[in-house]
Amino acid sequence: MKYMILTFASQQQYQEMVGQPSGRPAWTQEDWAALGSFMQAFSQELLDSGELVETLGLSAPVHTRRVQFKEGVPVVTDGPYAEAEEVLAGYWVVECESFDRATEIAARLTGCPGPEHIRARAYADVRPIDEHQPDFEG
Amino acid sequence: MRMCGRSTNTSRISRAERESRLPVIAAETEDLLRRLAPQVLGAVVRRYGSFGLAEDATQEAMAAAAMQWRDGLPENPRAWLITVASRRLTDLLRSEQARREREDRVARWALTERGAPRPDEPRAGDTDDTLVLLLLCCHPSLPAASQIALTLRAVGGLSTTEIARALLGSEQTVTRRITRAKQSIRDSGVPFALPAPGELGGRLDAVLRVLYLIFNEGYASTAGTALIRADLAQEAIRLARTLHAALPDDSEVAGLLALMLLIHARHRARTAPDGSLIPMAEQDRSLWDRGAIDEGVSLVTAALPRGPTGPYQLQAAIAALHDEAETPEATDWRQIAALYGVLLRLDDNPVVALNHAVAVSMVAGPRAGLELVQRLGADARINADRRFHAVRGHLLEMAGDRAAALEAYRAAARVATNLQQQRYLNQQVTRLQAPPGPFGDIMRKAT
Repeated sequence: MKYMILTFASQQQYQEMVGQPSGRPAWTQEDWAALGSFMQAFSQELLDSGELVETLGLSAPVHTRRVQFKEGVPVVTDGPYAEAEEVLAGYWVVECESFDRATEIAARLTGCPGPEHIRARAYADVRPIDEHQPDFEG
Repeated sequence: MRMCGRSTNTSRISRAERESRLPVIAAETEDLLRRLAPQVLGAVVRRYGSFGLAEDATQEAMAAAAMQWRDGLPENPRAWLITVASRRLTDLLRSEQARREREDRVARWALTERGAPRPDEPRAGDTDDTLVLLLLCCHPSLPAASQIALTLRAVGGLSTTEIARALLGSEQTVTRRITRAKQSIRDSGVPFALPAPGELGGRLDAVLRVLYLIFNEGYASTAGTALIRADLAQEAIRLARTLHAALPDDSEVAGLLALMLLIHARHRARTAPDGSLIPMAEQDRSLWDRGAIDEGVSLVTAALPRGPTGPYQLQAAIAALHDEAETPEATDWRQIAALYGVLLRLDDNPVVALNHAVAVSMVAGPRAGLELVQRLGADARINADRRFHAVRGHLLEMAGDRAAALEAYRAAARVATNLQQQRYLNQQVTRLQAPPGPFGDIMRKAT
């Protein structure tokens, strides 16, 4: 079975991460380095165990374009999110034996280093992927 | 496509099963198999046609070899593989024919066998076959993503799992892409042969582009994926070597191989332990790979006088000048600026123009460079790009205009989409915001 593990962050949190002043203390070089090595190790372990299908990180929410159908025409909005709104930041698709195993993997993300006020708010979601499982194989 | 409930369904095993059955084998045997794979595939396709099935047959021969060669190699491993693959292909063709009801398709396939295989033919044919195979995988009618996947699969001998990991895609996507590519090669009826001399140039350009894309994929990375992709650049170099062996006199092929070697030579010095990128001027040059540099330099040195001069040779020559400088200060910027000038005349590319401007500023001062950058301000291909603003910031700072430099770095950080780059650009902003004067300078150095 395949599951998607999703992580979330706001524009404000992204800005702190890349050292852009936003009123709160920015990530130090050490914080940033620790995050990098944690993520590398996390993905490498999944790769080694054969459970990683794919993983991607998204750039800051400010670069979002929203496309909607309004009054009969498609309308594009740049940067539709509020500064503090937490939106999708990245994901891993894992293929593993059970929902519990996928949850166990996601739980390791709680060990992700970072400034305390970020860690206190951080969470990950695990969602089963809608896969077609054929009943018979010819 | 899987056919359900058909009595003609054969006992062919799926690729995933086949790959999972591969036993652990010695590294030398694995290297040998990967080196032989394109030769065997090429030989089989040339004799029987039917690229898709030939590829399956070759994979099965490889799997059989991995099993049977554990106790020792056969006398002629290549001949062994060709024989087994041919036998397997014959089986596959028969069952395929049984499955097809339409006579015309059957006729197109290989009971039109072009003579019995001669597995022990001279080596000259091997490189030809590999070349034809490369040309086929990079056929201009295929989309770039398929060209890459098919090349890695058929010429590189990578499994779909390995390709999916290297390209950060799912295995299903890669499998689908390869299947579709093989299908369209089959449908197009492109013959498995060298193109006419007049066409070879254009077809070869496509191959070079695909190999360079594979190489660059190895350098593109996103959060947590840098480790996963390091091998892709290595694989591109291996493929470029194969191509160079097939066409030793082609100067652009030599130029591409040289370029890859000369860039890859710096890869160990390129990233800090925390994963951040280190600009060339700040790299520890003792970490650069001397062997790769020497090889790249001699390749491009031999290719350039032979002509015709092309963009890969020029870029290789520029990379060689950087690699040969023992310190950043020793860099021969005058020659680099001249080479970028020549490159610009061949290829009106705004990124090349930016690099040219930087090189000119190193020779004639930041104002001269800025003048060139300013002209690009009207070029819609680059004037909203992070690199345009970052180079402007760098040159404005060199020219002593801190306020304008600060604004340019801010603009660059605003449009950057890579977090690592954004962080680097924001550091420049913070550094320039520090008050000038002796203490400010110390602070600037410290960050």
